[in-house]
Amino acid sequence: MEQKWSYLVDEYRSMLYRIAFSNMKNRADAEDAVQEAFLRYMKDEKPIQNKEHEKAWLIRTTIHICLDILKSGWYQRTVPWNESFENAAKNIYLPYQVRDDETLEAVLRLPVHYRNPIYLFYYEDYSIHEIAGILNEKEGTIKTRLRRGREEVKKILTEGRP
Amino acid sequence: MGIQEVQSQSGASAYQKRKKAGRAEGFQESLLQNLKNRDQDKHSDTAVEPEAKQTVTGMQIGAKAKAEQAGMGRIGAAQGIRVNAAVAQKAMQAVEVRHMSYEDSDHVRIAVTEGYTLKGKRENGAEPRVYVEAKYEDGRVEAYQVEMARVSGQTGHVIEQFALETMKEGRAGI
Repeated sequence: MEQKWSYLVDEYRSMLYRIAFSNMKNRADAEDAVQEAFLRYMKDEKPIQNKEHEKAWLIRTTIHICLDILKSGWYQRTVPWNESFENAAKNIYLPYQVRDDETLEAVLRLPVHYRNPIYLFYYEDYSIHEIAGILNEKEGTIKTRLRRGREEVKKILTEGRP
Repeated sequence: MGIQEVQSQSGASAYQKRKKAGRAEGFQESLLQNLKNRDQDKHSDTAVEPEAKQTVTGMQIGAKAKAEQAGMGRIGAAQGIRVNAAVAQKAMQAVEVRHMSYEDSDHVRIAVTEGYTLKGKRENGAEPRVYVEAKYEDGRVEAYQVEMARVSGQTGHVIEQFALETMKEGRAGI
């Protein structure tokens, strides 16, 4: 049993951390969200159909946990540790990706309904079909959000505002 | 009076018959003449047609060759990709998509503002080649095989530039 959990953590930890970081924008909160997602998975008694379902479940749960934390009264009354973006985001890139902090920062400044589809599509390489499954939305909705989100990123980069 | 009427009526019908016969003859003549004329026109048309067809097909082939030279083929029409030389057509070839992951790639470029991502992998073989996979915002995925020996160092083509980067900076090269 312990082997199963350690396999699960090894397999998805990095990816879930990156997704959590894209929502929380600081390392400590992102790590908390990922831990909480793993705990919920272990406690959850519903049968997981296959590996893809397992992955989608973990991503969806991580995003929901992040949104719950962001909405919580406790979070809104606290100020996150002022860590430099460059340092905080160092684990978000894969080693052979062309690094572009400016664009990534702009993506992380997007409203949540644009941020998650854009992050999953570009930075985690999910297809539109997969993102629609993870976020429980229609494929057409995801396409629209990708297009509008890209326009918002351009605005942030050129005019400095979303 | 009644008899006269009958006679005049019979005379009129005889005239009508003659008139009809005359019309029919005239019609037959004109019909035959028209048919003859049409046959002549057809012969003259067929004599001209092959030349005209050759000219049209020649123009089409010429246009196609010009388009190929200018790099306006399938690849040139792809979104976000510019083809500016005939070399591009020879160096790049559209291939079947393998759905390669970021982890399996040697080099990845994420272009959020342009709406695409590129993944590159160096291929083992006698000639250096790079497999490039492009994913677009609308969901399309296209794959190309780039023969590096045919790529110019100063190429302005996005896929070729990326293939060069993959060769130089890719994970396998580190």
